[in-house]
Amino acid sequence: MEFACCWTKKELAPGDCPNIGEGEEELLSAHRRRIVEKCVECPLFTDDLLRFQESGHPLSEIFPIVINELLDLKSQLQSLGGFLNSKTREIKFLHELSLVLQTSVDLDEVLSVAMTAITAGKGFGMNRAFLLMADKEQQALRGYLGVGPRTMEEAWHIWEDVNQSNLTLRDMARLFQKDKLSSEKVKFNDILERLTVPLSEQQHVFNRALRQRKPILVENAFSNPDIDPALVELLGVDSFLVMPLISRHRRIGLIIADNCITRKPITNQDLQSMETFTFPVAFALERASLYERLQVEIDKLTVANSKLKEQQELIVKMEKMALVGRITSSIAHSIRNPLMIIGGFARSLLKSIEQDDIKRNYLETIVLQAKQLEDVLEEVLTYSESLHPALDAWDINQLVSRVRDELSGLFAQHNVSCVLEPESELPKVSIDYRQISYCIKTILTSALGTITGEGKIVIRTWRDDGVVVVTISDNGTPLPPEMVETLTTPFIVTQELGTGIGLPLCKIILEKHGSPFIIETSPEGGTQYIIRLPIKEGM
Amino acid sequence: MARLLVVDDESSIRLLYSQELADAGYDVVTAGSAAEAVTQLEAGEFDLVVLDIKLKNESGLDLLQKIVKERHDMPVILCTAFSCYKDDFSAWLADGYVVKSSDLQELKDEIRKVLAKKSR
Repeated sequence: MEFACCWTKKELAPGDCPNIGEGEEELLSAHRRRIVEKCVECPLFTDDLLRFQESGHPLSEIFPIVINELLDLKSQLQSLGGFLNSKTREIKFLHELSLVLQTSVDLDEVLSVAMTAITAGKGFGMNRAFLLMADKEQQALRGYLGVGPRTMEEAWHIWEDVNQSNLTLRDMARLFQKDKLSSEKVKFNDILERLTVPLSEQQHVFNRALRQRKPILVENAFSNPDIDPALVELLGVDSFLVMPLISRHRRIGLIIADNCITRKPITNQDLQSMETFTFPVAFALERASLYERLQVEIDKLTVANSKLKEQQELIVKMEKMALVGRITSSIAHSIRNPLMIIGGFARSLLKSIEQDDIKRNYLETIVLQAKQLEDVLEEVLTYSESLHPALDAWDINQLVSRVRDELSGLFAQHNVSCVLEPESELPKVSIDYRQISYCIKTILTSALGTITGEGKIVIRTWRDDGVVVVTISDNGTPLPPEMVETLTTPFIVTQELGTGIGLPLCKIILEKHGSPFIIETSPEGGTQYIIRLPIKEGM
Repeated sequence: MARLLVVDDESSIRLLYSQELADAGYDVVTAGSAAEAVTQLEAGEFDLVVLDIKLKNESGLDLLQKIVKERHDMPVILCTAFSCYKDDFSAWLADGYVVKSSDLQELKDEIRKVLAKKSR
């Protein structure tokens, strides 16, 4: 019997069989493989088989059965191979994903990887995904991030770009984090805002998924009585996946994924693949948020540490200053008596010297210089004492009144009236009595210096929001702004003592009391000095 | 004429005070130590005491306490190089407190004020 197919020949020459293509030359001499792979599907072989059936040979009935069984098995094998290939791809993808998730502690990177994995064609290939995070304080799930196109046009645009780029999942996630993360948050803001669900809403599909710790595939959503119609309307899809993110019994959040553009049905296969994926995502999200919180705490500690260092340096500086203060104080006190004797006798002698006597100039110089030295001493002593204010509760009206009385002779001498307008029953202020007295005295003396001729100084006190305000206004020549700046520039070592460090010293003292020192134009036309002293707690 | 007792361990200061206060119209007696001051106070009548706080190895504040205790109607003005004693409780027993200065005007004003208060 002659056969049309070449299946009887053990060896073939190239071109003998039309089914053997380029690259399959091995089959020319592999007889068994050729029959199984090529001949059983060849039309010539089918013709040969028909003719064989018609020949009445005893095996002609059995032969087609064997051949058909072989074809069935071959088809099953091919399908199993396909399944195996797809699973291998999936495992490779999950491996790549888990590598990224395991190594990252950056919350944004984890989010980018997770959301890219869900929506990329190389990943799970869903059209759109939303991430909701559990807000512990608010006891609710809140929309945090949405990823995917909003329109068909945008979808084509994105997918075309992705197809052309041939990037790995990690690279895609990096690009997403760099270029799109913030804009995607804004893009889906309207939906994200409405995705908030209280954790107490037990029957809500999100909470059910969290409670059951299993993803839920929602189908026929528009007619599904178990699904909140508002949610369905918001998502605008009939089918979506709800995947809980749970790490070590803690509810991290959940992911919603759908095919809002292609409307491709979501299969149980999709659900199973993503279930494997949610655990590393939840764990990575938790770890990244913990790391982020840890970073915040570390930053706080770093700031606290540097503050502590500053404080330590300040303490060392203060101790040095205190030592300098004690030494200068001791020297100043030793100098004060002889200085007073020199100046005092010079004044005494001056009284008995005639106006035109040349010695008068000498004595006047001694008096003036001695007075200047005394002023320097006073400032040095006040400065060294200002390093350690002894705070106590004092009546500011009584203090101001006492300083005014002390200076009454000076006011009379300059033909200036000093009016006190105190608010009655003021609470006591927490101050160093001597230092604040020095400030008031210095301000009054400074004000006096700007008044030529008859003048007026008004001291007012009143209560204002946790402080007692003291204002001293004069009607003298207003101080130009640049002079105000110079007058209140903090005391520096190069500044000569006794040459007007009074007001800068006031500023130092007041700042140590927590009060600003404001100098501005007064309503009386001159200068107004404002200080705000803290009220003693419990007063 | 009011009679003043000036207590200071520095002789030059005693001399300066004697002259200036005499010029201001007071009868001035001086003492260089706490013991001398006590003797003077026992020997004669005074209207006011001007007292330094640092008296060599003695404290003017102790003397102040003694005067207040034994002669509670005797006004005392503390006159010292140290402004810090103003906050000292012991110094509060005095009728006045003046920081030493070559310009004695403040001391003179204080004496006048305290004497005026006493005579009321």
